[in-house]
Amino acid sequence: MHLTNSLELFPEFAVTQLLFRDVKNCAELRKMAMEGKIAGALINPAMVLDPFQTLLAANKAVHVQKVGKMKTRSLYSEIIFSLSPTNNISEAFKRFGISDNDHAVLIVLVHNKEEEYNKDDVQSKVDGQQIPADQMSSLSDFAKIKKLYKVSSQEEKCGSVLDAVICRMAAKDVV
Amino acid sequence: MAEADGVSVRSVLPCLREAELIKQGAEARVYRVRFLGRSAIVKERFPKRYRHPALDEKLTRRRVAQEVRSILRCRKAGIAAPVVYFVDLSSNCIFLEEITESITTREHIAAARASGRSVESLHDLAENMGRILAKMHDEDVIHGDLTTSNMLLKTESSGELTLMLIDFGLSFVSALPEDKGVDLYVLEKAFLSTHPNTETLFQKLLHSYTGASKKAPAVIKKLDEVRLRGRKRSMVG
Repeated sequence: MHLTNSLELFPEFAVTQLLFRDVKNCAELRKMAMEGKIAGALINPAMVLDPFQTLLAANKAVHVQKVGKMKTRSLYSEIIFSLSPTNNISEAFKRFGISDNDHAVLIVLVHNKEEEYNKDDVQSKVDGQQIPADQMSSLSDFAKIKKLYKVSSQEEKCGSVLDAVICRMAAKDVV
Repeated sequence: MAEADGVSVRSVLPCLREAELIKQGAEARVYRVRFLGRSAIVKERFPKRYRHPALDEKLTRRRVAQEVRSILRCRKAGIAAPVVYFVDLSSNCIFLEEITESITTREHIAAARASGRSVESLHDLAENMGRILAKMHDEDVIHGDLTTSNMLLKTESSGELTLMLIDFGLSFVSALPEDKGVDLYVLEKAFLSTHPNTETLFQKLLHSYTGASKKAPAVIKKLDEVRLRGRKRSMVG
């Protein structure tokens, strides 16, 4: 169901992604995340095309934490911020975090590689149906993603929308 | 020479110490690595000890940023260039998509010539190169190091060949016909020295470049000037 990847640049860490749909308690989950009761990033899966996209965001978040250049308060909020094409933090939370009336959630956890992540802890909090994390694209809102990242049809000639999204996330700090 | 630093100072990033080094130049080292489940290329700009550390850091950082910007600018215009996965500004590394199923146009042209194929068989390729460079210059991206080795021919799953530009390490943004002219001049020099007796091929390239961009006449005029005086402008008088 879940996907776990190791981070080559930070071998001590691993990233686990869990995907849920028909979630009934998004408002509650969001509140718990804001109070720091969930050790994970709660992401709106409509804005994600592929697990690779969130994996890159997690990799970048761990990186900026290591070099002391975080722009937000925690590693998990930094993951959400990394997904955004702009440097506006509240905008990033609004677009890429979950809202109270959402019905799906993607949870991204960063944990010690040696330890299994605290699966039960997270799963017990979500009132919804877990689906395989690699089915992420079934929940993505293509049109919205293209609009938010400003992907033109011209750009799609030389690559996928995912490629375009990834480039913008990577180039955010240098543009 | 920067190369003299050799293996002893290899890489600030621990994960690159064991990585496969595929190219070492004066500016950077290029590695092949696994990155988040994909194969990737890492371009690491290492510190130059012949420069003052503060200046070195500034120059290197600016070049990393410029390389990424130019790639993004090209891709936005529909010009194929490698996807950027991750930029590490603390170690000056760029993680890029690995372009598989590809050869350099240099290899392609050399192989065609060696197998005795006519120069005419390469005309389509030259025209394609001209069109893409015109598009790039219309976006005001100056590549800075155009050679046939920095253009890849990638075989798509459909069987089609895509011409892809790589190595934007010396690139910058400029709208001046002078800079675009020099860009073409650098390519002409490299082209004709790497591939002898292909003058007509380069003519084809310039011809399609001219046909593909409204701004081309000013650039070609500059190219003629640059040919007479060389890449550097005379500072006399």
